[in-house]
Amino acid sequence: MSGDMRFTLKVWRQKNAAEMGRFEIYEAKGVSPDMSLFEMLDAVNEDLILKGEDPIAFDHDCREGICGTCGSVINGQPHGPETGTTTCQVFMRLFKAGDTITIEPFRAKAFPVVKDLIVDRSAFDRIIAAGGYVSVGTGAAPEANTLPVPKEKSELAMDAAACIGCGACVAACPNAAAMLFVGAKISHLGLLPQGQPERDRRSIALRRAMDREGFGNCTNHAECEAACPKEIKMRNIARFNRDYLKASFLSEE
Amino acid sequence: MNELIRRILFSSIGKKILVGVTGVLLCGFLISHLAGNLFLLVGEEAFNHYAETLAHNPFILPAELALLAVFLAHIAVAAVVSIQNKAARPVAYEVQRSKGGSTVGSRTMVYSGVLLFVFLVVHIKTFKYGDVGPGLYHLVLTSFQNPFYTAFYVLAMAAAGLHLSHGAQSAFQTLGINHPRYTPLIKAAGWVFAAGISLGFASLPLWAYFRTGGLP
Amino acid sequence: MSLDAKIPTGPLEQKWDNHRFHTKLVNPANRRKFEIIVVGTGLAGASAAASLGEMGYNVKAFCLQDSPRRAHSIAAQGGINAAKNYPNDGDSVHRLFYDTIKGGDFRAREANVHRLAQVSNSIIDQCVAQGVPFGREYGGSLSNRSFGGAQVSRTFYSRGQTGQQLLLGAYGALMRQAASGQVKIFPRREMLDLVVVDGRARGIVCRNMVDGKIESHAGHAVLLCTGGYGNVFYLSTNAASCNVTATWRAHKRGAFFGNPCFTQIHPTCIPVAGAQQSKLTLMSESLRNDGRVWVPKTAGDNRSPSQIPESERDYYLERRYPSFGNLVPRDVASRAAKAVIDEKKGVGPTGLAVYLDFADSIKRLGADVIRERYGNLFDMYAHITAEDPYQTPMRIYPAVHYAMGGLWVDYNLMTTVPGLFCLGEANFSDHGANRLGASALMQGLADGYFVIPYTLGGYLASGGIPSVGADHAAFRDAEKAVEEQTRRLLAVQGRRTAADFHRQLGLLLWDKCGMARNEAGLKDLLSRIPGIREEFWQNVKVAGQKESFNQALERAGRVADFLEFAELLVRDALERRESCGGHFREEFQTPDNEARRDDKNFAHAAAWEYRGDGQDPMRHAEPLTFEAVSLAQRSYQ
Repeated sequence: MSGDMRFTLKVWRQKNAAEMGRFEIYEAKGVSPDMSLFEMLDAVNEDLILKGEDPIAFDHDCREGICGTCGSVINGQPHGPETGTTTCQVFMRLFKAGDTITIEPFRAKAFPVVKDLIVDRSAFDRIIAAGGYVSVGTGAAPEANTLPVPKEKSELAMDAAACIGCGACVAACPNAAAMLFVGAKISHLGLLPQGQPERDRRSIALRRAMDREGFGNCTNHAECEAACPKEIKMRNIARFNRDYLKASFLSEE
Repeated sequence: MNELIRRILFSSIGKKILVGVTGVLLCGFLISHLAGNLFLLVGEEAFNHYAETLAHNPFILPAELALLAVFLAHIAVAAVVSIQNKAARPVAYEVQRSKGGSTVGSRTMVYSGVLLFVFLVVHIKTFKYGDVGPGLYHLVLTSFQNPFYTAFYVLAMAAAGLHLSHGAQSAFQTLGINHPRYTPLIKAAGWVFAAGISLGFASLPLWAYFRTGGLP
Repeated sequence: MSLDAKIPTGPLEQKWDNHRFHTKLVNPANRRKFEIIVVGTGLAGASAAASLGEMGYNVKAFCLQDSPRRAHSIAAQGGINAAKNYPNDGDSVHRLFYDTIKGGDFRAREANVHRLAQVSNSIIDQCVAQGVPFGREYGGSLSNRSFGGAQVSRTFYSRGQTGQQLLLGAYGALMRQAASGQVKIFPRREMLDLVVVDGRARGIVCRNMVDGKIESHAGHAVLLCTGGYGNVFYLSTNAASCNVTATWRAHKRGAFFGNPCFTQIHPTCIPVAGAQQSKLTLMSESLRNDGRVWVPKTAGDNRSPSQIPESERDYYLERRYPSFGNLVPRDVASRAAKAVIDEKKGVGPTGLAVYLDFADSIKRLGADVIRERYGNLFDMYAHITAEDPYQTPMRIYPAVHYAMGGLWVDYNLMTTVPGLFCLGEANFSDHGANRLGASALMQGLADGYFVIPYTLGGYLASGGIPSVGADHAAFRDAEKAVEEQTRRLLAVQGRRTAADFHRQLGLLLWDKCGMARNEAGLKDLLSRIPGIREEFWQNVKVAGQKESFNQALERAGRVADFLEFAELLVRDALERRESCGGHFREEFQTPDNEARRDDKNFAHAAAWEYRGDGQDPMRHAEPLTFEAVSLAQRSYQ
């Protein structure tokens, strides 16, 4: 390795969903400040493999903060200490040489641990499958400019659509609620004219799917907003609440 | 079961909306209660007259029952929500540090709520079912001669302030009211309201305890 | 075996319509009798699986990510092209077709590219209907931006996250089919073999990455939508899991590999900071609109940039290409950077970077204007490098970005194995030797939404596909082969990790088969890769067990395939004795160091046939005929 920083890593190890997990201590040496946390873990894993030990399993893919695959709680904060970033964008210059860094998985009943730092977020897929889309078949689309969309609405929709589905909102929420994730999808589609025909139906269906997965209830802490790597706002949760209320009382759904 | 009841009583959002709506109603009750209490400062006659009138109002019983229902709904639904929230994270974090957003008030809603519930029982026992003797004014002033009782009241009102610091503004969010243009105002108003209610209610036992001139 | 591209007859503009009319259809009631296997859920895979599900086919969709939404299409930034001509600036289907053919340096198939341009408009319609939040004008209509290689504004975009938004649209459509039961989704599955029965692709063998179990899935057709192989170079802008395994295994089962040497190197990436680096981050090439590229005039000058006076700087792009300056196309800019770095004029701690300097623009326009245009990119750069690009020049370096090569497919997107189709970046079809910006998203969605729903039906309706289940002996054989490879990987217990071999291979390839290639270097590579591969199988160390979640095992399997595939890539580069697009052979350049094509001998697609381990593969050629365009030399001076 290229640097001279050392860290003590306290990492959650868990063989699979069925077995109990525990923390293990690892030493990372020769870390340079320009390395990412994952590059440091890569190096620790190379050593573990050569020693014949099981490397630390962690989810990652694009390593540029867009795919939403990565996600760990670092020193008690999902995606680490900075705002608006993912775990893969945590660089070691954020830490003081010699620090102990605690790395644990996102913890929620709805996100069972697969292995070590990897959790199963398929609950999110099931929520989207319940209606997080516009039901338009391939080929059934009208000409794209037929329906004007006010720029402001389009920008707000994009703010919400920027969600990468990483689950940090659930991880950060003291109640392990998924309202920011679902609220973002409700807002994205609810703000656009294309999403209107299914708007009532969507809020009812997504709420039902969300509750079925065992997430907690939103109590408006706003920790999700602070942890969201795409800085999605609580306002989207309010819009979900509003849509749900309206759909429950007034809609034909 | 009626679909609407199912959507409200048996859904995460519906339950939160119930807590929010009942919370808003309770806030209204607090305002009128505080306004009534302030007759204490006007004098014995005024206060006792207010208390008597209230107690002999033919609509007081249905109003009290409705208030009781609102209280119980607020407490019961909030309790269910809290239990579910606890269950949603069966394994706790080893280290947990806020990234921002949550406040002392938001994190202690359950504790401040439980304390307020205990307070409520004591409060009703003392002032609704206690021995009024020469008049409620007398009972109030006598009760607050006890420093522990007064301290308990002040503590409970601090809890009420904490509870409201999150609860008041949070109810708007739950009811779907959030816009960058007015939400900062709602939040500020929530803080002012919480502080006003808390200080307003707490000031009366303190006034009673520290006032000079002996009991009436 | 001769290559039949099955290009429909008739005038270019009518080929696709004619072909759709003449292609047999599958009766709606019969579609449910067909099982279709789709591997990969990026733009091509998700759009194909969703569309086929809507039509009534039974679809099984596989991805190695934990959710279909995470496929690497999600990382595409800039936009998606279409010939809508909304800005009224002279665009047309024919112009989009022409720009794409020319951008690909005349090494793509005319008929395919024309079809791509024809369906481009329907893609935008479809995505808008799905709720993709494209950029808009205040009046509510769709907004366009301009992109490299075109003189018209035809690029639709969702901020810098166009790939993400398009993929989420396709993913939504896919999940809708999953909810209806028409598509079954298999996440965290890695395809490890293709099963061919009686000459037809009939299924796949994959590994369940959670429990390590080997699974077989049978179907009437298999669609590979598994992306590009850029990670063969170890460092690239690709996601960590991007690999060649699915297409390589299909290649070994009979699918020809087309133009593997055509890889795109993107000039503006954040340079390598250290040996442990795992990823190169792309910075939008739009930065070159306002940034000036330079290096010190003297080799080995390691003063900080602010200490180097104007007279001692070499603005080499402006010097070499006075008319295009800093805005030359990707391949030209990348090669020019390599040239100055080879002269030891590179900057930064590693010497593997050039400056991209905004000082002049900031002086001219003010920091606020620059912040408005590039603020998010500047922030990203500052976050990764801890340097402030408003104060000090950015350091950039080219990086491997996209694979134009891939499995050879005919006009129907079918490979040389009947029943095996290949879509998106995984196939070789539409970008020739160089891809234009904002064309990858267009191709992935064109293939999935608007091509395969027709051409797959043609194959299925042609009949003669007997029923084969996953209990067929061919599946047992393939499973055994997969199990055997896994066993071997775990049994070596050597002293080097798979990542270490990957790094070694990648650095070699980058050095000798990257931005510039020559015969001696390529021959050297050809002589060295088998040695690395041999050492791999004798000295690799893979931890963990077979039947468990095992990322080390996954990595080792992919590296093993890269070690085989790399040889084919190099061989293809060696055999293509010309320079074109991203393939630059130093022997074939004009006197002023530009790429020199050889249209007489190389106006063809190379398609490689696998002939067994230890055997040299056979090179086939599909001649490319150009009727609608005339071949021209590109010049940017």
